[in-house]
Amino acid sequence: MSAPNSSGSANAAPAVASIHQLPLELIDSCIGSKIWVVMKSEKEFTGTLKYFDDYVNMVLEDVTEFENTPEGRKTTKLEQILLNGNNICMLIPGGEGPQ
Amino acid sequence: MEQQQQDFTSFLIGRPVIVKLNSGVDYRGILACLDGYMNIALEQTEEYVNGQLKNKYGDTFIRGNNVLYISTAKGH
Amino acid sequence: MDEHAPLESAGIEEPLDLVRLSLDERIYVKLRGDRELRGKLHAYDGHLNMVLGDVEETITVVDVDEDTLKEVIRIVKRNCEMLFVRGDGVILVSPPSRA
Repeated sequence: MSAPNSSGSANAAPAVASIHQLPLELIDSCIGSKIWVVMKSEKEFTGTLKYFDDYVNMVLEDVTEFENTPEGRKTTKLEQILLNGNNICMLIPGGEGPQ
Repeated sequence: MEQQQQDFTSFLIGRPVIVKLNSGVDYRGILACLDGYMNIALEQTEEYVNGQLKNKYGDTFIRGNNVLYISTAKGH
Repeated sequence: MDEHAPLESAGIEEPLDLVRLSLDERIYVKLRGDRELRGKLHAYDGHLNMVLGDVEETITVVDVDEDTLKEVIRIVKRNCEMLFVRGDGVILVSPPSRA
């Protein structure tokens, strides 16, 4: 009873695995390249992703911080930061940042 | 990976850093230590609100949940 | 001891040690919502829940004048013999300078 079922799912598994990539695997493939980080608040960062951990705390290099305020967008350059993962909303590989 | 992040945090210790909080307030000082919650101990702390120096403290403990990032301080 | 003796020499290995060394000392606590406390630290835990004694609380209130719509900053002070502070409201703790 269970044997045909399990063999069926075993056959299907490789196809599913090739489509599926774990979210953190996607981030892992961004290491060494530019990434765009959108925070829950009106803040964004672009920079080169050096490291990250399971909480998506991350170390970024050659960072630009974008702050959207009622007065307009403010940008700040930072050499290297340890970013708290707690308030991250979205990560975008490539990191061209907001226009 | 975590090890490398550890390396970065230990690289920061004893150096001048900027700690930015979610509220937008900046703290500049020498990073004495930091833990897994991003709780931070800073020495010779200066508090900047809207880029203006508002306060100076000898040592400070900053609760990690308020921290947006810790940056190497350069210039300024 | 030097006025700015490095904290490592004071036996500080993790940030909470700074709070531990401030037990029975008067400390400054900055809280969310523009509140500040100055008092003697009787007890604390890992959440930064604290018991303070002989406390002065300073609250900064911004009022908007209904006629002129100007912001008026008002400082309210009050004193308290013993106070429990819930840790999640804490932004910063500063011990007395260890000169």
